Amino acid sequence: MTTPLLDIRNATRRFGGLLAVDDFSGVVQRGERVGLIGPNGAGKTTVFNLITGFFPLTSGNILFDDTDISQMKSFQVARLGIARTFQNLRVMPNLTVFDNVSIGALGAIGHSPAKALFNHRKYAEDISRRTWETLERAGLQDEAGELAANLSYGKRKYLEIARALALSPRLLILDEPAAGLNDTETAQLSDFVRKLSNEGLTLLLVEHDMAFVMNLCERVMVMASGRKIADGTPQQVSSDPVVLEAYLGSEEEAA
Amino acid sequence: MRRSLSILVIFIAIFVVLPGILAVVGGGYWFRVTTTIGVFAILTMSANLVSGTTGLMTLGHAGFYGIGAYTAALLATGLHWPFYLTLPVAGAVTACFGILLALPTMRLIGIYFAVATLGLGEIIHLTLLNWVGFTRGPMGISAIPGIALDGLFAASDMGNYYAVAITAALTAFVLGRLAHSYYGNALRAVREDDQCAASMGLNVVRLKIQSFAFACFFAGVAGALWAHTTGYISPGDFRFSESILILAMIVVGGLGSLPGAIVGAVILLGLPEVLRPIGDYRMIVVGAVMFLSILFLPRGLLGETSVLSLMRRQFGLAWDNAKQLGWRQ
Repeated sequence: MTTPLLDIRNATRRFGGLLAVDDFSGVVQRGERVGLIGPNGAGKTTVFNLITGFFPLTSGNILFDDTDISQMKSFQVARLGIARTFQNLRVMPNLTVFDNVSIGALGAIGHSPAKALFNHRKYAEDISRRTWETLERAGLQDEAGELAANLSYGKRKYLEIARALALSPRLLILDEPAAGLNDTETAQLSDFVRKLSNEGLTLLLVEHDMAFVMNLCERVMVMASGRKIADGTPQQVSSDPVVLEAYLGSEEEAA
Repeated sequence: MRRSLSILVIFIAIFVVLPGILAVVGGGYWFRVTTTIGVFAILTMSANLVSGTTGLMTLGHAGFYGIGAYTAALLATGLHWPFYLTLPVAGAVTACFGILLALPTMRLIGIYFAVATLGLGEIIHLTLLNWVGFTRGPMGISAIPGIALDGLFAASDMGNYYAVAITAALTAFVLGRLAHSYYGNALRAVREDDQCAASMGLNVVRLKIQSFAFACFFAGVAGALWAHTTGYISPGDFRFSESILILAMIVVGGLGSLPGAIVGAVILLGLPEVLRPIGDYRMIVVGAVMFLSILFLPRGLLGETSVLSLMRRQFGLAWDNAKQLGWRQ
């Protein structure tokens, strides 16, 4: 039995008096598509921020491919192979689509002033190729020269995913990928993400669109008030009374 | 082909046409004006790397300019070092000071970084002013040897001009390589969204320190050139107002645009000289030019976006020439 790709062990994060993530444990196996759902304020994005090193854990550990990443900074986690997108789209508006995606390639291949000063052709060629291949993969070739600020909302979603893909991650973390998209766009995105998964990428995503999650994910973890309250297949969690209570309130309260 | 032609035209203009005109006009005064513009162009190009490209607004650049000038002046008067040694050493010393002083400020962003560098600039200015035993305080340092080489050439206006022009050209080359490359993309990513850049694997703190170190190095070199070409420096040359002037030049030229930084220096220093016949009214015109250029061209006379595409098109720096994408360096 191989170890899981991502192994979160008793992760806890406190902000002053607020316990944002409370003793959260969970694993993501290689090649899996896992959803993380829960009511607003449940701590889903905080879990993502803990994994990607945005702030340290108050206690607990996170292992990625058997390496303890709990104490690592964002850029170190990214270089190990965890790429993410953001809840509020964070493209770099004053850079072209190509240059945006090149940032991911730069993160993977590295950067130094010496490479620019001494005209390292091979290095620049590597970054350019990787950027272009990623743009093709995300279907953004035609917009490559546009400023990111000029892209439609839907295209910006793909740009953000493309930038993450340019890192060649082993785990891709998507924070509300379908937010703000209409039904057709959501279906297209779902197909795109499924295609990435079929190519071997492991996925962990937060999403409020239940149809999207239930359709795409093989396993779903449910959070409420910082704790994990359920973990199983979409069918299992959607009929779990604890989950229903967290989303809809208990019968006693309703009565 | 296009690239070599563009570079050739620029070189002929700077190294043949302009000095030729100055020699014919025969004014020591106009030589003085052009060397001042050259020194400030080095300052604006270097400040632009950190404030424009990396997005860390610095208000203390004149302080680092002062460290370079005093390093060169003290080495040249005290230890009789020639200019070709004092220039790089002044740059290196300033870069070291820059790194040490800036390390604690690297976590700051936006206005907080600006205020911290303002404080640094003031500390440097007050140190130069009050450490009389070392810097001679408000009396300044005089009789700094000029740009001369024994047996080859003596100090002259033309020598000063070429020293400044060659140094400015080298500065433009180095900073151009940094800004118009994938390394420049990394710096711009730090400016656009530092958290996002970090989650893409960029070492944001290191990138900030590197760009600050490069900026300080060239500020120091500019200071050394100023010391050697004027022969006299005093703390008054390196006040807060100079930092503001440098920032104004960059903003008028276009934040993040290397040619814009040069254009800003040429306009804000050249205009008052050209307008000298209208007397004191000229500063009103200069102020109006600044005001109107920001009003109508908020991205500057040569904005970053258009300059980056110009570099790709005219200087052939694109990876894909047909589509004008990426960088070759």
